[in-house]
Amino acid sequence: MVAGGGIAGIQAALDLANSGYKVYLVEQDAAIGGVMAMLDKTFPTNDCAMCIMSPKLVEVGRHPNIDILTMTDIQAIDGVKGDFSVTLRRRPRYVDPDKCIACGLCAEKCPKKVSDSFNQGLIMRKAAYVLYPQAVPLKYLIDADNCIYLQKGKCGVCANVCPAGAVRLNDREATQTLTVGAVILAPGFQPFNPTGQDHLSYGAHPDVMTSLEFERILSASGPFGGHLMRPSDRREPRRIAWLQCIGSRDQNRCDHFYCSAVCCMYAIKQAIIAKEHADHPLDCSIFFMDMRTHGKGFEDCYNEARHKHGVRFVRSRVHTVVPDQQSRQLALRYADESGHIQEEHFDLVILSVGLQTAVEQRRWACSLGIALGEGGFCRIDDFAPTAASRDGIYVCGAFAGPKDIPQSVIEAGSAALCAGADLSEARNSLTVHGALPPERDMRGEPPRVGVFVCHCGINIGGVVDVPAVRHYAATLQEVAYVADNLYSCSQDTQNIITAKIRAENLNRIVVAACSPKTHEPLFQETLAAAGLNKYLLEFVNIRNQNSWVHMQDPARATAKAKDLVRMAVAKALRLAPLKEEKLEIAPKAMIIGGGVSGMAAALAFSRQGFPAVIVERDGALGGQARHLFRTAKGDNVQDRLAQIIRQVADDPRITVHLNSELYRVEGFVGNFKSILTAGGRQTVVEHGVTVIASGARELQPQEYLFGQDPRVMTGLELDRRLREDDAAVAQARTAVFIQCVGSREPERPYCSRICCTHAVVSALHLKECNPDMQVFILYRDIRTYGERESLYQQARQKGVIFLRYDRERKPVVNATAEALEITVEDHVLRRPVTLRADLLTLAAAIVPYRDETLAQFFKVPMNADGFFVEAHVKLNPCAFATDGVFLCGLAHYPKPIDEAIAQAQAAASAATVLLSRKTILTSGTTAQVDPRLCAGCGVCVALCPYNAPALKGDGPFAGKAEVNPALCKGCGLCVASCRSGALRLLGFDDAQIMAMIEAA
Amino acid sequence: MSLVITLPAEKSNRFIDKVKSILPNGGNLSLCLTCGACASGCPATGLEDMDPRKFVRMIALGMDAEITRHPWVWMCSMCMRCTYVCPMEINIAGLVFEARKLWPREERPKGILGSCDMALRNESCSAMGTPPEDFRFVVEDVAAEVRETQPGWEDLQAPLDKQGAHFFLSQNSREPVTEPDEMVPLWKILHLAGADWTYSCTGWGGENYCMFLADDENWKKIAASSLQRAKDLGCKVYLNTECGHSTYSVWAADKRFALNSGLEIAPMVAYYYEWITSGKLKVSSAWNRDLKIKFTVQDPCNQIRKSYGDVQADKMRYVVKACVGEENFIDMVPNRSNNYCCGGGGGYLQSGYTEARHHYGKIKFDQIIATGADYCLTPCHNCHAQIHDLAEHFEGRYHVTHLWTIIALALGILAENEREYLGDDLKEVWLPGEPGTPDPFAGR
Repeated sequence: MVAGGGIAGIQAALDLANSGYKVYLVEQDAAIGGVMAMLDKTFPTNDCAMCIMSPKLVEVGRHPNIDILTMTDIQAIDGVKGDFSVTLRRRPRYVDPDKCIACGLCAEKCPKKVSDSFNQGLIMRKAAYVLYPQAVPLKYLIDADNCIYLQKGKCGVCANVCPAGAVRLNDREATQTLTVGAVILAPGFQPFNPTGQDHLSYGAHPDVMTSLEFERILSASGPFGGHLMRPSDRREPRRIAWLQCIGSRDQNRCDHFYCSAVCCMYAIKQAIIAKEHADHPLDCSIFFMDMRTHGKGFEDCYNEARHKHGVRFVRSRVHTVVPDQQSRQLALRYADESGHIQEEHFDLVILSVGLQTAVEQRRWACSLGIALGEGGFCRIDDFAPTAASRDGIYVCGAFAGPKDIPQSVIEAGSAALCAGADLSEARNSLTVHGALPPERDMRGEPPRVGVFVCHCGINIGGVVDVPAVRHYAATLQEVAYVADNLYSCSQDTQNIITAKIRAENLNRIVVAACSPKTHEPLFQETLAAAGLNKYLLEFVNIRNQNSWVHMQDPARATAKAKDLVRMAVAKALRLAPLKEEKLEIAPKAMIIGGGVSGMAAALAFSRQGFPAVIVERDGALGGQARHLFRTAKGDNVQDRLAQIIRQVADDPRITVHLNSELYRVEGFVGNFKSILTAGGRQTVVEHGVTVIASGARELQPQEYLFGQDPRVMTGLELDRRLREDDAAVAQARTAVFIQCVGSREPERPYCSRICCTHAVVSALHLKECNPDMQVFILYRDIRTYGERESLYQQARQKGVIFLRYDRERKPVVNATAEALEITVEDHVLRRPVTLRADLLTLAAAIVPYRDETLAQFFKVPMNADGFFVEAHVKLNPCAFATDGVFLCGLAHYPKPIDEAIAQAQAAASAATVLLSRKTILTSGTTAQVDPRLCAGCGVCVALCPYNAPALKGDGPFAGKAEVNPALCKGCGLCVASCRSGALRLLGFDDAQIMAMIEAA
Repeated sequence: MSLVITLPAEKSNRFIDKVKSILPNGGNLSLCLTCGACASGCPATGLEDMDPRKFVRMIALGMDAEITRHPWVWMCSMCMRCTYVCPMEINIAGLVFEARKLWPREERPKGILGSCDMALRNESCSAMGTPPEDFRFVVEDVAAEVRETQPGWEDLQAPLDKQGAHFFLSQNSREPVTEPDEMVPLWKILHLAGADWTYSCTGWGGENYCMFLADDENWKKIAASSLQRAKDLGCKVYLNTECGHSTYSVWAADKRFALNSGLEIAPMVAYYYEWITSGKLKVSSAWNRDLKIKFTVQDPCNQIRKSYGDVQADKMRYVVKACVGEENFIDMVPNRSNNYCCGGGGGYLQSGYTEARHHYGKIKFDQIIATGADYCLTPCHNCHAQIHDLAEHFEGRYHVTHLWTIIALALGILAENEREYLGDDLKEVWLPGEPGTPDPFAGR
């Protein structure tokens, strides 16, 4: 059972359901989606949140092994791991979801208008309503608190008008008990409510709003249709200020010592998007304490915001927001970094509110026997990052500490892995296989094309005249049916398309919408559900390559959309059904790297019942963790590492190859064949999936006398000395840390994420050993994100002094016999301070190995920094775009042990989805040889990166090329290179392409 | 300034450690995030090139030599607006209080020192050194005069040392010494409310400048004698005259020095509110219906932010609106607990730093001007004096009065000679006994 239908719960449910488990997805609200469904865009890529989430919503919605229980919460969990009995309470919906056809008539006729909480109260909705347009399940409900009938016993209009007879005004609360083997809690967070923060004028002035309210304003489906307006007078703002750390890092006006970890990035994102939305130059200013852009791609985004987009960053906490009667603006008076008072006026003030666990949720957690930490988030262990304090119950997402979407998705994978592992013996015992209708034989039918044009909210519809495109499509040859939809990917529209294919007897489908990269599989499934071969779909991108890039020219964008649709129809007429091959999967995982991540992945596979092979280039397991002293939570790393190594050694399903390197890799998802070399000996490993956990290392600095003076060392070296109880360390009178050594520099622009926490932990340890030691940390921004903030606070409490420096004015280190003299300007007093240190620790950057060979072996990409690039930064953070290859640990990005383990488990979870399937289908889009035309020259054989073509040895057409469809990736390289024209790519045939070109 | 900061080699004897050992939770002094919220909201920012953030920073860095005898500690009014939003709730006022002690007592600002020492001269505890017998004489004399000259007030009492009275009323020295008629409106209000109250000839002085002098011993001594006197008389409520800092000095001393008086220590305005809402005081704003004279109020930091909070601020607004009319009340922004200190607190008026005080008060002056109000009402002597002075210094066209004046006006009991602080526009409005003025004794 997964409790909570936000992105974390959705991901956990999908991982489990796709690897052979029956899942109950319990959601308090009327639909799944959580907070992510409310967001406009997601950082750092500014992808449309709903666009990337919608396929997942639909997948959950139509998954045969996921039961969505909405309006439901968990009342009690009895029993033990493997055999829980969960009591659920379902609140009345007043609409029978089985009957509701989501026609919306109830809402249309409902006479009662109420504040729309999904839109943060910025607009009104009816008492009969649907949570949001793409809601899954798309079923209406009645808000009992506001329904006239339920409050006063009169009205009942909804029941009278409902054509399906779905309204049940006598609906009652119901309780049921379900037996489940494992429970995952992903109840999410509550945004901090700044009501009562008198100094911020929130609630007192409409133009002071929370970031979530602003997110709705930016959203195409929001209250203003995505037009940037301020609520007070609906005029476009010229100047917007964001105030950071509202409800975070504040133990005075709220009780939140912690950092909410996401607000800096979402403020940057909102500032960039707001500038894009504005028709005129928009001034965006972000008032902050420390800029925390510690994630992958975040620092780049911060730099771009500053330098490319002109977002202004002001390091100051504003005391009070004062509404100015005269200018009808909001006045901010603040002390700048040098202490001078500035006063500025803004049209809008956005409060970057933090994340919190609701009080009721805390009580609920306690009643379930789940221990919470100081901040009200679930207490977890660094080495079991998603295990709750109660055995057999797992947690993920913001309930386990404030975090962003990728980290939530990673934890979802980790929790799913652990839950699945507890039940691995029962795998596939309760699941059903979605029975697709038999494929219709459409041979001999005349083409009947259906064209579906998508508005994508205002993403397309705001630029392109979608109805005009639809009308135009109707005039094209053989087009039998046309429609336009607000969101074609929403579940109800998908059902409508399925129904229309059947009813209109369509046999070619053109979808003009967004990117086939994200959405083509979804529509292919829709075709299959209608009994149509899924390759009879032609997908046209009129968003990314049209409405987004031609935003300024709607007329020509509309014309282009028509052109694209015409071309697609021309091609669609020539589409033919394609066949997919079924392949066996080798049920084994190979893991590159024997550090904590690699070992965690191996153990995860083993727990799921799959054998795993670890390949480690070093002579020992452990990776970088061998150098570490303590985790952020104070665990002794060496003790825990020894336990893990022992576990790996004792596990009969895990094979370890030390001192080994990859020599060659053949094959593809499901059937990899890797050759390892160790001291000249070769070993062949056949495996279905690969996990890259190849790690990273600490930079050897060039600056601050490193390597020249023995008193200067890196963070890892200090850890080593601390482990060894080095006397020089213990006896130091003054210790200094310099942060960002090699990180956040032009040549290495990323933040190494863990160094701030590491330095603070080390400083605390030094203070513990010798309270009289003077400890200074020289930093640029302290990035003790999430609950790690408490360490920063403890360090200050213990007297550690933090001095901030700019990259342009770095500390200067001079060595004398007695001490290291470190001079730096104090950031408050603006005067130089000279520290006389006995010990200088440099927070050296974490640098990737930049292993090009490994990247080549598995055809996986690397970014400019040398870290591997995941399939999708938000929703697929531990898999590669290459099927069957997964990613975790430092090779992905610097991260602490808990996050590395979570990612390893998530990678294993995603891989388990594949392994547990036993067979996979290859793509129907493959190359095919016409042996009558083939000259047998062998160029295709030599060129193919996947070894798919081979020359036939015997039988008819011996000596001619033949393509193994299982190996073929459909890249088309061979087709382009064939001099005889013997090769064709199915689905991209010459005739099809030529038809498109002719139609263009 | 580019002076190199020298840090102490040894960690011992640092000022910060001393202060941390004194303040509850160590005043959170080490927790500073250097975010600047304090400096952003402080009217003393920039004075002497100092601000709260810098001050906390210097102390955290152990720059004790530089902060010892720093004049800024007298330019901070300890209003605690910084702490109000400080994410770490750092007790900067507590720190400044301790830093004032780094000045040798005799070298602390003469005005403050003098006012403290005066209060120690006799049992009155008056900052002006007024002896008990002088106080008795003035009170009795003024009361007798009212009884004789003002029709209807033949029963007016200003009881002294009345055993068993419910309320013990403190008195700022300014009125008995320099403007005795200013005491009368409050007596009349108490009379109409039917309050059972008393002054005491000893311990009546409502100032306690020893608190501003950072003289803990004598702050305690004065507060304790005043409270003890109230207890000795068998009073239940220590009712503080309209004065923020004196209210605070007693309220805070009761806790700080664990005096455990057991008395209810109440600001005057709380009872105005009670008496108006219970119908004992039938104030009317009818006099202002056509005049439409605009009023604003100053929230005394000591009475609102530092002690009784927004509840008290709301009561004050209720009282004022009842007297002047809802539509004639204009609030300053920001207000209530987030109000700006006027610059009269912390002993500023007596500290001798006049230029700094005017600079500090400029924000308050601008705030008042922005309201467009004709009157600024202040239930506090320091606010009253400072805001009055700001009007003169910056040439503002507003008047400053205590609440008692306007309540008495709204009751129709404010005599001609009790209108010192009213402008010409109100000199003749609702004079007692005049046609149109309500009869305060109607129905009694």
